[in-house]
Parts: sequence; C-alpha cells; structure tokens
Amino acid sequence: MSLPLAVLALPFVSFVLLAVVPPLRRAGRVAGGVSIAATAVAFVCALATWQGHLEGEQLVPWIPGDAGPMATVGLLVDPITNAMLVLVTLVSLLIQIYSLAYLSDEPSPALGRYYTYQSLFAFSMLGLVLSPTFLQMFIFWELVGLCSYLLIGFWYQRPAAARAAVKAFWITKLGDLGFVTGIVMLWAATGTFEFSTLFRMGAAGQLPAESLGLILFLIYLGAVGKSAQFPLHVWLPDAMEGPTPVSALIHAATMVTAGVFMVTRAQPLFALVPDLVWLIGTVGAFTALLAASMACVEHDIKRVLAYSTVSQLGYMMAAAGAGAADAGFFHLLTHGVFKALLFLAAGSVIHAVGTNDMFRMGRLWHGLPHTGIVFIVGTLALAGVWPLAGFFSKESILAAVWGAGRTGTFAVLALTAFLTAFYMFRAVFLTFFGHAHAGGHPHEAPWPMRGPLWILAILTLVLGLAFLASPPPAVEAHHGPGWLGPFSLGLAAAGLALAWAMYQQRAIAPASFSRVLAPIDFAARRRYGIDALYLGLYKGLILGFSKLIGLIDRYLVDGLVNVFSALSLRSGDRLRRIQSGQVHDYVYGVAFGVLLVVVFAHWWAR
Amino acid sequence: MSLHGYLTLGALVFAIGLFGVVTRRNAVGMLLGIELMLNAVNINLVAFSRFHADLGGIVFSLFTIAITVAEVALGLAIVIVIFRVRKTIEADRLDLLRG
Amino acid sequence: MTVETVGFWLVAAVLLASSLAVVLTKNLFHAVLYLAVALVATGVVFLLLESPFLFGVQLLLYAGGVVTIVVFAIMLTERLVGERITQTSRHVVNGAIVSAAVFVAVVGFLLQAGAPAPVTERPDQLAGLGRALVGPYAVTLELLGVLLVAALLGAIYFARADD
Repeated sequence: MSLPLAVLALPFVSFVLLAVVPPLRRAGRVAGGVSIAATAVAFVCALATWQGHLEGEQLVPWIPGDAGPMATVGLLVDPITNAMLVLVTLVSLLIQIYSLAYLSDEPSPALGRYYTYQSLFAFSMLGLVLSPTFLQMFIFWELVGLCSYLLIGFWYQRPAAARAAVKAFWITKLGDLGFVTGIVMLWAATGTFEFSTLFRMGAAGQLPAESLGLILFLIYLGAVGKSAQFPLHVWLPDAMEGPTPVSALIHAATMVTAGVFMVTRAQPLFALVPDLVWLIGTVGAFTALLAASMACVEHDIKRVLAYSTVSQLGYMMAAAGAGAADAGFFHLLTHGVFKALLFLAAGSVIHAVGTNDMFRMGRLWHGLPHTGIVFIVGTLALAGVWPLAGFFSKESILAAVWGAGRTGTFAVLALTAFLTAFYMFRAVFLTFFGHAHAGGHPHEAPWPMRGPLWILAILTLVLGLAFLASPPPAVEAHHGPGWLGPFSLGLAAAGLALAWAMYQQRAIAPASFSRVLAPIDFAARRRYGIDALYLGLYKGLILGFSKLIGLIDRYLVDGLVNVFSALSLRSGDRLRRIQSGQVHDYVYGVAFGVLLVVVFAHWWAR
Repeated sequence: MSLHGYLTLGALVFAIGLFGVVTRRNAVGMLLGIELMLNAVNINLVAFSRFHADLGGIVFSLFTIAITVAEVALGLAIVIVIFRVRKTIEADRLDLLRG
Repeated sequence: MTVETVGFWLVAAVLLASSLAVVLTKNLFHAVLYLAVALVATGVVFLLLESPFLFGVQLLLYAGGVVTIVVFAIMLTERLVGERITQTSRHVVNGAIVSAAVFVAVVGFLLQAGAPAPVTERPDQLAGLGRALVGPYAVTLELLGVLLVAALLGAIYFARADD
C-alpha cells in the first residue's frame, strides 16, 4: 500500500511545505514548481498503482472503543479508486501547469497562495477517493468543500467572487448536513463506518430495513449538494467567479464528481433501496434537462460550461438511478477529461479576448487556431460524437437506462443530448466563427497553456480510439439495441445543425425561436426562478426570523433587563439608607434579630 | 434556689446591659453595657453548669471572661484612637460608615 | 429559707441595683465604679453556684483588670479633653421597650422548659476544670492564647504615638 499512500502524501507534503514556509509561498512561481513536482510524482505513482493492480484495503484503528475500535482509518484501493487517482492527479497536474501561464499576472504571494490551495485540494480529493470508511470520506469531503470555497474566493477582493464562495460553501453545506446525519445514523444502526463491512452486512441482510431508506436518502443529500443536483445546483454557475483553471479542476473534472463517486462507491448499499435509486435517477434526469435548457440561453461562456457540467452530472446520476453506476462512473472519467479540456480552452479564449460574453466574441478561429481545434474536439466529445471518448460513456448510459426499461428517463436524456449538442455548438459558432465582434488582435496563449490543452485533446481522442479497440467493462456490460448508436449520433447532428442554422447561417432568427418557446425561454433566462426562490426564502425566512429575534431581543429581553436594573437600582437606593453609620441602630437591629430568633424558636418548639 | 431564679437574674442583667448599649451616647458607656451583657451570659453558663453537673459551662465562662478582657482592651484602644482623630467619643457623631 | 436563698436574693438585689446604676449614672467615672460592684456581685453569684474558682477569676480579671483599664481609659480621655466627661442617654423609652421585649422573650423561652432535678453528687470542680482545659478543650485554650496575643498587638498598634 505504499504507492497509494505516496499518491496521498505527496500533495500533502507540498501543502504543508507551502503553508509553513512563507518565503517559499511568497516566491510564487517557485511554490508552483514545488506543487507541480509533487503532483507529477503523485501522478506517476497513481499510474504505477493502476498498472500494478495494487488493490486492497488497509485499516488501522482510530477511535478506541470498548468492543473494538469505534472508527477506523485507512486506504481502500480498487478499480474505481485507481481510475479516480489517475484522473485527479492527471487533471491537477495539467491544470497546475496551465495556471502558471494563466495566472502569470498575479503577484507572487497570491500565486503561492493559489498553489498552496491547489496542493491541499489534490490531497483532499485523493484522500476522498482512497477512503475506506464513510467517516474518513466525510472528513475529506469537507476538506474538498473548504478548498472549493478558498479557490472560488481566490480573488476575494471582488465582491462577486466572495459572494459566490460563500454561496457555494453554504449550499453544499446544506447537503453535507444530511450526509453527516446519515453517516451518524448509519453508525448508530450498525456500529461501523467501513464500506466493506457495510457491504457484507447488506449482502447478508443485516442492515435495518426500515431506517435504511432514510439513512441513505440523507447520505444522498450530500451527493446532491456536492454534485450540484436539483435543487441544490445553484452554486455551481456562480462558482465560475473563480479563476478558470479552478473552474476546470474543481467545478468540472474532480470535486463535483465526488457526489457521483460516493454514490458509485456506496452502490451496493443504495441498491438495497429501490425507491431511492428511482429517486436518484429521476432527479438526475430532471437536473440534466433543466441545466441543459439554461445553458441554451446563457451568454457567459464559462456559465454555459457550468450548466453543461450540472447537466452531465445529472446524466451520471441518472445512470446510477438505472442501476448502472458503473456506466455513470465511466462517464465521470471521460467527462472529467474533456470537460477540463473545454474549460481550459474557454480560459484560453477569455485570456485572449478579456471577456466572458460570447456575443462579444466571434471569428476567433483565425487568431486562436489551437484553441479552436481543441475546443471543437471537446465539444464533439461532450456532444457524444463517434469515436471520441464521450460517445462511449454517453452511449453506455443511454443503453443502461433503456435496458432498465425506464423509457421516460431515456426520453429526457435523449432530449438533453440534443440540447447538449445544440448549446455546445452554439458556443462554438458564437466564439470561433460567425461575425467578428472582438476588437484587437487576439493571440494564442503561451505553451504552458497550450500544452495541457493538446494533451487533454489527444487524450480525449486516444481514449475513444482505445475504447473502440477494446471496449471497457462498463461498455461491455450495457449493450443497447442496435439503433441506439445512430440515434444518439443523429441527436448530436440535429443539435449541431440547429446551432449552425441559427448562429452561423442566421437562417433561423434566435429571436423568433425564443418567441415560439416563449414560456420556457422566459423561465430559463431567469434560471427557473430557483435562485430567486432561494433569495426570497432567505430574505423571507431568515431575515424575517432574524428581525423577529431582533425585536424580541430589543424589547422583551432588553426590557426585562432594564426593568431588573431599574428595580435593583431603586431598591439598592432604599436599602442604602439602612446603613446609617450609627452604632446604636445596628444594636437595635441585633436586638430585633434576637427577638425574631426567640419568637421563631417558640413557635418551632410548639 | 432553682435554676429558673438564676436564669431570670441573668436575663434581667442582660436586658439592663442592652438598655445601656442602646441608650448611651458615649462609646465608653456603651462598652460598659456590653460588659454587663457578657456577665449575664456568664451567670447563665455557670448556672447551667451547676444544675447539670457539667463542667463545660464553667470552662466556657472562663473563656468568655478571657475574651471579654481582650475585647475591652481593644475596644478602649479603638475609642482612644477615634477620640484622637475625631475629637469626640459621642457615638452619635460617628457616622463615617453611613451608606 | 436556706442560706443560699437568702444570699441569692441579697446578691440579686445588689447586682440589679448596681447594673441599673451603671446604665443610668451621668458621671462616667461613677458608672465604672458601679460596674465594679456589679462584677463583684456576679462573682458572689458564682460563689452561690459553688464555683469558687470562677469567683476568684472574676474578681482578679474582671473586677481588677477590666475596671482598672476602663478607669485608665477614662482618665486618659479626660486629660485629652481637658474636662470631665459626663454622659447622657438618648432614646431612653425606645431602649427600655426593646430591652423589656428581649427580656420577656428570653425569659419566656427559658422558663417554658421545666426545671431539672437538682444534682446531688458534685464532682471535684478544680481538678475537673484542669483536666478539661488540657484535655477536650486544649485546642480552644491555645486558640484563646493566640487571640489574646492578637488583641495585645492590636491594642499596641492602636495606641501607638503618631509619627
């Protein structure tokens, strides 16, 4: 187990080094070098772990208890952990390299801070995927949330970034509350946090059937918050206030997939409660469609990608809901690669033109050919075009959903696939083709940025070809009917065609289109009122409650306090006069006291 | 003579002493009243001791006497100090501790 | 009428009279002298209660010591004032009422208990006293010594010359 441990320890060492040695951190690029070196070695170790099939579980007691340890910590390495280790270290490495160029304008201390957070994030995420127990997973889960907060708020001078960071933190906390409650309830019911023990108990039917549904639902809430499922998806688009590499790393490729990962990890438990699985799938499909429709009307290129991420996460959850968590996980891996690619490419575009608004871009193809090619590769992959990586994973999800007989979900996902192709090509046409709006001469980014882009693009392509040559188990397991492949390709082509007609050829005016679909267009532009609803709830409930408490405090509590203080002041003033300073009066007092005692003793004796 | 006779005598002397303490203006006069009260207590103690054949009462009155002597010595010293400072030993005019 | 009864009534009369004189006399010096009489009378009461040792202590310490100290104090203050100290009383009625009330309450309380049977056999008082003082009351005795030292130091401190 030393190799997986090394994968985990290296980013941690880097983080501690950067955190406790301020000169190193303030050096900026040197700090980046340390972090990149650590992540690179970790990536090599992860590859070795994967190739060596070093699988197994190691547990050490943590919290001692009367009958055996109450909690254990350790490492769990299995195929999905291995895959995640490689994905996380690879994406982290590429993004850290990319950031060197992307954030080159930042002052050195800020850059050092950035890399400190990055190292902490890599450590937390790796710890999360290596966790053999719910408790350990929760700890790293929260660490990951913290890193997300820190990185979204990296430009904390900007009010919008600070607000977005807080929003992301609070909304995911809402889900985490359910998560931790569920874990504790599970522990109370079974006495263990360990996945392997829980799976064994589940297989043997030793889990309490009546409370298991509620417990797993609460745990699922954690995944809803982290993986931005409806109705807790609102934080992810706002999280785009962070630097683009952060969006790519945390809010596309790795962190937001933690929820899907958790559902996949705990799949044997979830499978025990069919109703919950159905709920997961339905919410996932609904989220996928909702987010896709919002992506269609978004102007900000990063937000399009953010909604697309929410949508794809819904896809993965829908797969899990069809009992095919492996297909969802497979999509997670491929999506991690090409979504990181898309984000980094978008970052490159933003770097070149200095705006996020797609309607102020256009004809960037000539200035940014590299970026354009990789962005289109990523778009094709996301749209599910053969033979790119995305095709296979999307295909297996659709096949699994169809195979599970969930026609409604299948229809929603198919519609989502069409919308995905549409909004992605809409972004492509608006950004790289169409009519020039951007002033100046946008130029290609330096190689530290272009390198990772090309690596990810090639990887997207190569992975697809590799899957073609030797289908991975998830694809093997879910064979759809023969018409499925052409059908989904047709959906992608239809989306492409519509986007081409509307934004390239202008054959169909987008305005007339939105008139036809006026209610949906209206609602999607306002994000279906969900953000407003939360804001209203916040204002109405929390502020109203606070005002009520404020009134109670001001008038009731303060009033009581004032009454008491006035009473004690007045009575103190009266009592003061008893103390005359005259010895005789005191003697009188003593005499009366004696009288009182004697009278009392009389009465008592009787 | 019965125990009750002695006790009544003691109570009478005690009441007279209390009267002296309460009415005297002069601090020394008040001290004299206190002496009377303590004496009355001693009478009670010794009477109980005699009628219960218990030496404890005698021992206690011995202690009382010794403590009284100390108290008188200190009390008079205080009176003299007060007199030096305030030029009076009229207890009426001593109200430095007035609240 | 036994000797004890006659003696009791006589001594009681003297004691009460001298006590009243102590609290009523105008002249402070006379009051002290009446106090001496009252103290001696108390000593005689002790004698009637068959405690000759206590009578001796009363005479020596109280009548001798206390009275002497008070006389010294009065003379000292008179010299400082430069005139005779006469003392007056105040709120005589109030004082009388309070004192009477206390008397009635205490006596009423004490007398409601029945009189105990007189004890016939008498222990050897002096020897018993000695044993009690070094036996069960030894610690109290030592504490008393500490108290007396403290009082002595306090008196010296208060009475020291200003410097």
